[in-house]
Amino acid sequence: MPLDFDRVWLPYLYLYGVGGIFFLGGLWMVVRSEGYNKLRPGDRRWLGLMFFGFVWYAGLHGAGILAATSLS
Amino acid sequence: MLSSLLALAQHAADPAQAEAMTATAAAGQSPVFWVIVIGYFMLVLGFGAYFAGFNRSTSDFFFGGRRFSWWLITMSIVATGVGSHSFLKYSSKGFEHGFSSSMTYMNDWFFVPLFMFGWLPIIYYMRVRSIPEYFERRFNPQVRVLATVALLLFMLGYIGIGFVTMAKTLLPIIEPHLGWDLMTITWVVAVVAGVYITFGGQTAVIFTDLLQGFVLLFAGVFLFLLGLDFLGGFDAFWNALPAEFKLPLANFNDDPGFNFVGVFWQDAVAGSIGFLFMNQGLIMRFMACRSVNEGRKAAAFNVLIALPISAIAVSNAGWIGRAIANTSPELVSPATDPDKVFVTVTALLTTPAGFGFFVAAVTAALMSTVDTLINAVAAVTINDIYRPLKERRGQTPDDKHYLRAAMIVSAIATLIGVGAAWGFSQFDSLYEAHGFFQSTLTPPLVAAIFLAIFWKRFTTAGAIATFLVGGVLIVLGNQLPEVFVRPLAHGTPPLPGEDGSAGGGYVYIGALWNLVACFGTGIVVSLFTQHHRREETDGLTMWTVESARRFFKGGEPNDRPGFTMKLRWERHAEIPHGTVQVDRETLEGLAADGGEIVYVTDARGWLGGLRSTHAKVLAEPHDHGEVVYVAPDVADNGHFLPGRMLKVEKEM
Repeated sequence: MPLDFDRVWLPYLYLYGVGGIFFLGGLWMVVRSEGYNKLRPGDRRWLGLMFFGFVWYAGLHGAGILAATSLS
Repeated sequence: MLSSLLALAQHAADPAQAEAMTATAAAGQSPVFWVIVIGYFMLVLGFGAYFAGFNRSTSDFFFGGRRFSWWLITMSIVATGVGSHSFLKYSSKGFEHGFSSSMTYMNDWFFVPLFMFGWLPIIYYMRVRSIPEYFERRFNPQVRVLATVALLLFMLGYIGIGFVTMAKTLLPIIEPHLGWDLMTITWVVAVVAGVYITFGGQTAVIFTDLLQGFVLLFAGVFLFLLGLDFLGGFDAFWNALPAEFKLPLANFNDDPGFNFVGVFWQDAVAGSIGFLFMNQGLIMRFMACRSVNEGRKAAAFNVLIALPISAIAVSNAGWIGRAIANTSPELVSPATDPDKVFVTVTALLTTPAGFGFFVAAVTAALMSTVDTLINAVAAVTINDIYRPLKERRGQTPDDKHYLRAAMIVSAIATLIGVGAAWGFSQFDSLYEAHGFFQSTLTPPLVAAIFLAIFWKRFTTAGAIATFLVGGVLIVLGNQLPEVFVRPLAHGTPPLPGEDGSAGGGYVYIGALWNLVACFGTGIVVSLFTQHHRREETDGLTMWTVESARRFFKGGEPNDRPGFTMKLRWERHAEIPHGTVQVDRETLEGLAADGGEIVYVTDARGWLGGLRSTHAKVLAEPHDHGEVVYVAPDVADNGHFLPGRMLKVEKEM
């Protein structure tokens, strides 16, 4: 199978696009609900970790794709 | 799949598989192999016997006394999460499809915010003991009954599958030397697992899973290192694989047997929600944490760090196998049956004695899944059937009675699991029936619990309809995939049928129809039916978590930050049950008000909270300096040792 856009990047964009909608939708609910209190420092740190986790996995998968296609 | 291991011993057709068979048989003749396997079983039994002494109540038996540190819970979740068939399944996928076999382990982050800020605080603060109990508190007893029946049937069947999987793994090694058949092995494994769970409860499960988590992760990573060494280093491994094989995500929709979009909806969405929100065993594990914050740490570390390592541990035999097949096809044939690649590669890379260690690792993965399920079955049976039955009859037995009952139920669940294992080993149709049952019942449970937590408008009628109508729609989708699944299939072709036509149905993407059917039913019915008033669902949805905190604290939460205080301790019979007393300076350092809950633990952090408990701090301080007076029942519950220092901190 040729390593074209559909094979290489479409799954990635779908994963972090559709998955990102679930993720951001969930965060939106969290911030609007009583589950999150911005006055509690612990809650702010945990919210920051949520974004870090998303970037962490997006970075891992992105780096994996670049390595697979660029490093022989 | 694991039955193929037996076939491997009986029908080795190519040199590589013959070598694997020889190595497998040789392993059984090695005394070191038996020392490792028997030693491992004895160690597990020893854990059960030791931790039985830590069970004084049903809270201890089911939730480990709610006392443990995050790292202990993390490792036990790893052991439970790496399922009974993971090494074989993901090695097989890795051999066929490459690094994309890791997808299912690395797509769980999207729903973690809702778990950490929503579901975890709700179950912890509201002291929810089981999924069905949550359904009754959120809706009514009828919904609880539906959930209880579905969960028990699912879990008991799963225990049976776990046993038969484990026995089939061990059969080719044990049968030639001891003459044991499948059921004899099942009985031996069931006795080992049943004994330590029956007497040790959740505490034994957590500590044996800690051991088993380390064993299986170490074994998997070690196998990868052995493979790299065998191939001549990482560069040789990397260069032996084609670029497509190294992509971390599968083809979008081409391959009906393994494609990205199907795995996304089945695993990243349905599977993640199911694992985080609906898994009774996992919920009990988080309830065993000493606080919500420790639970969050356990979840974050597990998903961010442990799962990627687990993905490598369970998949790499397939990757190494493919690299060897590409460079030395005389050692591992490119035509090797993917289901056999784990045993083939392991046998190739290890000595017969070393092979014993990997058998122990696979056994660890299998046993740690079954032990969690048995404990979960006991929790659901006691909390959702036995206790309500007693209360309805006006009987109020003490907690010791329920603890004994829980132990008996654990033993009975183990026996039923053995019976189910016998059924699965005799009749393929039973195995298929359980698979069908699981795929039909899981989505309604997933949808119902998700909507219940996050949508305050979700109604009782909506929940019942999600179970019943959603289940019917799933069956319809299964019978008429071209009508219901195909429009949502993202262009994924159906699997070929037995006659070669495109009538085999949709493997992964069918999950999208299941989700649409169940969520859609629940939402539509809820929009047209009367929903609960806010006060009826206080603390049970994410929108009312503050009420849950007040419920847990017994009053307005005190968020003033305090310090952890390290103190001598003395047993003090004069102070009330369930309390501790400290001096004024310590009370101010804790930033605790009188009557507030504090966490008291042995100061040795490596115990992970094994010797710890919660208590209320008395408002009136003593004036005898840096010592904490501990009521006798608190000292007993915490299993504190004389002469050891304790740490005390306010429960936030």
